[in-house]
Amino acid sequence: MFFSSIIFLVYVLAPVAWLLSSSFQGEAEITSRPPHWIPHQPTLENFEAIFQAREKKVTYETRRAGDPATGGYIPSTARNLIPSMWNSLVVAVAVVILNLVVGVPAAYAMAKIRFIGRSTSIYFMLTTRVIPDIALVVPFFLFIRTFGLLDHLGSLVITYLAITVPFSIFILVSYFESLPDELDKAARVDGCSRLQTLTRVYVPLAMPALVAVVLFTFLSSWNEFLLALMFTQTPASQTMPIVVASFASDFTISFAFINAAGVLAVIPPVLMAIIFERYIVSGLTAGAVKG
Amino acid sequence: MATIRFESVGKTYPNGFAALENLSLEIADREFVVLLGPSGCGKSTTLNLIAGLEDVTAGSLYFDATLMNVVPAHKRDVAMVFQSYALYPHKSVYENIAFGLRMRGHPKAEIEQRVRDAARSLEIEPLLERRPHQLSGGQRQRVALGRALVRQPQAFLMDEPLSNLDAALRIAMRAEIKKLHQTMRTTFVYVTHDQAEALTLADRIVVMKEGVIQQIGTPEEIYDRPKNTFVASFLGNPPINYLEGSLSQDGRRFVRGGVSLPLPIPLPVQAGRPVRLGIRAEDVDPKGTGEQLGGRITSVLPVGSDQFLGVEVEGAALFFRVGREVRVHEGENISLPVNANRLQVFDAASGASLLWQ
Repeated sequence: MFFSSIIFLVYVLAPVAWLLSSSFQGEAEITSRPPHWIPHQPTLENFEAIFQAREKKVTYETRRAGDPATGGYIPSTARNLIPSMWNSLVVAVAVVILNLVVGVPAAYAMAKIRFIGRSTSIYFMLTTRVIPDIALVVPFFLFIRTFGLLDHLGSLVITYLAITVPFSIFILVSYFESLPDELDKAARVDGCSRLQTLTRVYVPLAMPALVAVVLFTFLSSWNEFLLALMFTQTPASQTMPIVVASFASDFTISFAFINAAGVLAVIPPVLMAIIFERYIVSGLTAGAVKG
Repeated sequence: MATIRFESVGKTYPNGFAALENLSLEIADREFVVLLGPSGCGKSTTLNLIAGLEDVTAGSLYFDATLMNVVPAHKRDVAMVFQSYALYPHKSVYENIAFGLRMRGHPKAEIEQRVRDAARSLEIEPLLERRPHQLSGGQRQRVALGRALVRQPQAFLMDEPLSNLDAALRIAMRAEIKKLHQTMRTTFVYVTHDQAEALTLADRIVVMKEGVIQQIGTPEEIYDRPKNTFVASFLGNPPINYLEGSLSQDGRRFVRGGVSLPLPIPLPVQAGRPVRLGIRAEDVDPKGTGEQLGGRITSVLPVGSDQFLGVEVEGAALFFRVGREVRVHEGENISLPVNANRLQVFDAASGASLLWQ
C-alpha cells in the first residue's frame, strides 16, 4: 500500500518536478543528455525574460539572432504573457464570483423549496452538460459575434458561465440536500427570511462544497483553451493558455522559456489550494441531527 | 398568548396529494393540545401550517383575530422544537439559543440575560460554549427546548421532540415539558404518535388519520369514549380487543355464539344488527363479580407488575392484562369476569361507535 502510493506519487509529481527544474535551466542545459534533474547552472534568465520581454520583430532572416536578454530563443509573443495572465485572472475571478452569486441561491431553491418544475429544472441543468463543448463552439461564436463581444473578455466570462454554472449548481444542490431540512425550518421559525436562512445557516455549513465550486470554476476558466482560441484574437483579450500555446508555434521554440511560463501558470491555482486548504474540512455538520 | 383557529383548512401538495382535508380546530390560549396519529396522518403538516413553514391551500388559519394564511414563518411569533433537534452545527450552544433573539433585533444585554436564564432553568449553563456535536442526545434536546423557550413565543410547537431519546430519558423529559407548560403559560401544540405521551401531557388530544380529524377531546374522553374503532385502537397498551357479533333481541346484550355480555347502555332495538364489541385489555378482573367471558388460554406473558394473557374466545384471539397473582397456565380454560360498563360497541361495517356520537 505504502509502496504503491510512492509509485503513484512519483508518477504524478515527476512531470511537475521536471517543469520546475527546467524552468531554472538555460536552453543549452535543458537539451543536454542525460537531462539534469538538479540544474547545474541555475538561472533566473527565463523569468527575467518573461518580465522584461520587449517588443521585437522576429522575421525569418533574424530568427537565429537569439534574444539579447538571454542569448536564447525567446518567442516573439513573449511580452504578451504577463498581460494574458492578467486576462486569465480577471476572467477566472469574474467566473468564480458570478458562479457563486447565481449558483448558491439557485441550488438552495432547488434543494430546499418545493416548487413546480423543481426536478425538471435540475434535470435540465444537467442535460446541458452532456453536450460536448466542441458542439457549442459555433453557436457560441455566432452569439458572441452578434453581440459584438469578439476579442473581448466578456465573451469568455459569458461562455464559461454557461459551462460551469450547471456543474456548480449540481455540486451545491447535492450538498444542500445532504443538510437536514429541519435546519431550514428551524432557521425560518427563528426569524430568518429565505435569504437569511441561506446566508446565515446554509452557506457557513456548505463551506466544503463552496470551496469545491470555487476551485472547480477557477481552474476550469484558468485552463480553458478551446473557446478562448475561438473568441480572442489580439493580446487585448488573449488568455494565458492561448499565449503559451503560441510559444510553441513560433519560428523558434525555447523549451526553457515555455517551462518557466508553465511554472507561472501553476502558481495561482496552487495559491488557491493553499488559501482554501483549511476550509476543506468535512464533518462540520456532525451533530446537527442525531445520527 | 394566542388562540389558534383552523377554519376548514386544507393542504394539497402540487403533486395532488391531499395531506389535510377540511380541518376545523380551535386551540385555546395556554392550552396544551396534542396531535396524535400514525405517520402520514397530517399531524406534522398541521404543525407546519401553524409555523408558516407550509402554505394553507384551502380555508383560513387565524391567530386570535388575525388571518395568518400568507404571513411568512419568520414573521410569526412561534417557536418550534424538532424531532432531530435541528441545532445549528456551526454555532455554539449559546449562539444556538441566542439566534432567534438576534434575528428579531433584541439588544445584546437582554439576549445575554435571557439566554443565561433559559440555560439555568434547563441546567445546561456549563454547556454554553460547546458545539452541538459535543453534546449527548438529552443535552441536545435541552438546547432545542432552550432555543424555543428563550423567545417567549405566542405558541410553542413541538414535532415529536422526544422520539429520539431513550425510554428512561423520554419519561423524564415528559415531566419537564409538562412543567415547562405550567411555568410558561403559553399555548403548546405537540405532535406525537406515542399515545402514552399524548395521555400524559395533553389538555386535549386531537386524533388524526389520513388528514382527517377523528376525535377531539380530553385524554379521558378519548380513552373512555372513543368515537370509532380507529381511535379506540390507537390508545391503550396492549391495544383494545374486538369481538365481532350482533345485538340481542332487546338491544341490551352483545351475542357471539356462546358469548353473551351486557352493554353499558341499552341501544335502540335493532335485533341482530352486526356489531363489533371492544374490550380493553385491562377491563377484565379475575377477582371481580361481573358477567363472565369464557375461553382457553393460549399464552401467558409476565411483564413484571402484570401479565398478559392470550385467550381464545369463540374462535377470536383476545389479549388481556391481569395481575401477576393470577395463577394460570397455557391450555387451561378460564372464565374472566368482565367490567361491563366499560365495554365499547361499534358498528361492524363503519367502525363508528354506537355508544358515543
